[in-house]
Amino acid sequence: MSNNSLWLILQKLRVPFLVLIIAYTIAIIGLVMLDGVTSDGKPYTMTIFDAFYFITYTATTIGFGETPFAFTYSQRIWVSMIIYLTVIGWFYSVGSIISLLQDKVLIREIAKAKFKKQVKNLQENFLIILGYNATTKRIIEKSLHKGFRVVVIERNEDRVNELMMESYTPIVPILQADIHDPIALEISGIKSKYCKGLVSLFEDDSLNFRIAVTSKIINPKVPLAIKSTTETLTENLTDLGVEIIENPFEIISSQIHLSLNSPSIYQIGKWIYNLDILRKEQFKLPRGLYIVCGYGRMGREIYKVLKENDIEAKFVEINKEKVDSNHKDVTIASSYDMDLLKSLDIEKAAVIIAGTKDDTLNLSLLSTARKINKNIITVARENELENYSIFKYSHIDFIFMPSRILIHKTINAIVNPMSDKFFYLMKSQSEEFGAKLVNELLEKIGESPEVYELFIDAEQANAIKDAILENETIYLGAFSRRREDRTIKNSVKPLLLQRGNKFYLLPDEVMPLKMGDKILFATTRDAIEDIEYIAQNMYELKYVTDNFTNDGMWK
Amino acid sequence: MNMEKVRAGFFIILAMTLNFGFFYGDMDSMAYHDKYELLAAIVVNLIATTLKLGDRTQIGSVLLATSLVADIQLIAAATVWTIVAYTSEITPATTVIIVSLSGGALLANIVSVILYVGDTLKSKR
Repeated sequence: MSNNSLWLILQKLRVPFLVLIIAYTIAIIGLVMLDGVTSDGKPYTMTIFDAFYFITYTATTIGFGETPFAFTYSQRIWVSMIIYLTVIGWFYSVGSIISLLQDKVLIREIAKAKFKKQVKNLQENFLIILGYNATTKRIIEKSLHKGFRVVVIERNEDRVNELMMESYTPIVPILQADIHDPIALEISGIKSKYCKGLVSLFEDDSLNFRIAVTSKIINPKVPLAIKSTTETLTENLTDLGVEIIENPFEIISSQIHLSLNSPSIYQIGKWIYNLDILRKEQFKLPRGLYIVCGYGRMGREIYKVLKENDIEAKFVEINKEKVDSNHKDVTIASSYDMDLLKSLDIEKAAVIIAGTKDDTLNLSLLSTARKINKNIITVARENELENYSIFKYSHIDFIFMPSRILIHKTINAIVNPMSDKFFYLMKSQSEEFGAKLVNELLEKIGESPEVYELFIDAEQANAIKDAILENETIYLGAFSRRREDRTIKNSVKPLLLQRGNKFYLLPDEVMPLKMGDKILFATTRDAIEDIEYIAQNMYELKYVTDNFTNDGMWK
Repeated sequence: MNMEKVRAGFFIILAMTLNFGFFYGDMDSMAYHDKYELLAAIVVNLIATTLKLGDRTQIGSVLLATSLVADIQLIAAATVWTIVAYTSEITPATTVIIVSLSGGALLANIVSVILYVGDTLKSKR
């Protein structure tokens, strides 16, 4: 039902209303029946209006005195009885109305109605984010920054209040509800055509799976970003058709793989994910003996990637249940300490990875390791997402943050799907290819190129649309020219072109454009403006393409 | 027997009968229309309205609406009467206004009773 809260109020108001009506009626009838005396001593009886007027101000304890004439004793006796009746009746009714307004169920119903209205009025692209915590908070901020609206469902009341205190602009509608409830998903707008994605990054894998199944049933068209930390779940999610499956540990292991084999491409990834700028000198993980502390979900992924690369690695774990007892590469220890590290030949080791769930332990492990072996490369896992990070100041060579990885992965996959695809395609390229691209970008554009997406359609590229409809051929290279002087090359590098289901990595400048193309550029802020003008304005387009004529310019 | 049904039925029908009692008689003569009967009609109508509050069914909503119509018409009649009585004199013309307002309320009450009876007949038990 649409207005549950109204019915709830009405139903609870029945008794207070009845009490008031009956008390007033008794009082009025009594007053009307009793004989009174006017100021001249003549007998009179109150009219109904006199009685109603008297009761109205007496019951609300305003008390204007005895009207219209001073009362007789029989009237006063009656009034002293009914005052208790009406005043108590009135207080009871007011009290129950006020307690009704404080009723948790009612407040929640009102909040729900407000939320529904807010979601219904969302006429822009928006994301549904489940759960409000440090990770999703960043996602919300970044999405809002990129022009996506956000709708949040959170179970915990304190966190709901926390979000409200943030007072985001534009408003972020939040619903306090149990996420197990499919109705909560439905009213948060999953069926809306503006819903561009649903994000579920809970610690609990089974909860994530359940949400994926429910959402796919309610609306199969909405892209889902679901966290998964096990292979089985990833498989299940793939079968279900979930678009974005985020396994932070798998992402970490693939980063290690990239850093071992193709540091340039790793650097491109960092730039695409907004974590770093482009550099010529990239950090490369060395080969040699690896010591990995922690053999949990992350440890297993690291184990796989190190084996793949034929790297000798020694793993340590203190929780016996996590490890098969006959695993030859894993040592089970009682605690992480200096003796343990020494027994693992830390003097000879090239890299130590502290990958336990405990941030303090990770920090202390690395500082111990550095004391024994000064040249060791330190790699840490940082679990807690805090504004002030002690990891930043501890001179660790390499920090992995599963929660931060989730943030960037989610934002890129939903808000900038082209850059996500671009990096995915880059990962399968060779190191030389990556190094060449990094050099080209550094030379042409600079250390931190902006990423810009252009969709060739009537809205974003009106001039190009018209030109294509007139059977003119517009080449991709048109965007690489300056508006002031077409002979000068602009700092623009097309990274990816999507045509239907086909992707062209680093497309050639002589490629003719077609309607519906999506292009990803690496460029500067100034050049973005040029691109927009060229795409929208036919005179600018004519100027940069060769169809330039003097009279066509100022027509 | 359902006590709630008895109570609701009692007040709905009493609201109609009292309303009829007030309405019945010469249109332009106050002698046929008793003010206490109007008071009783208003009170019973208000109680009937309150009893219908919060019923989420289709029929419940329509019953509530008819009841509210009757309330408004009766209270309007009483207000007109009071204002006229204290500010000027009751003429046959104002009597016609008061009685016809209560007549409208009677119509709403009749609709309410028909709906209520219909709903009762519909239920199988």
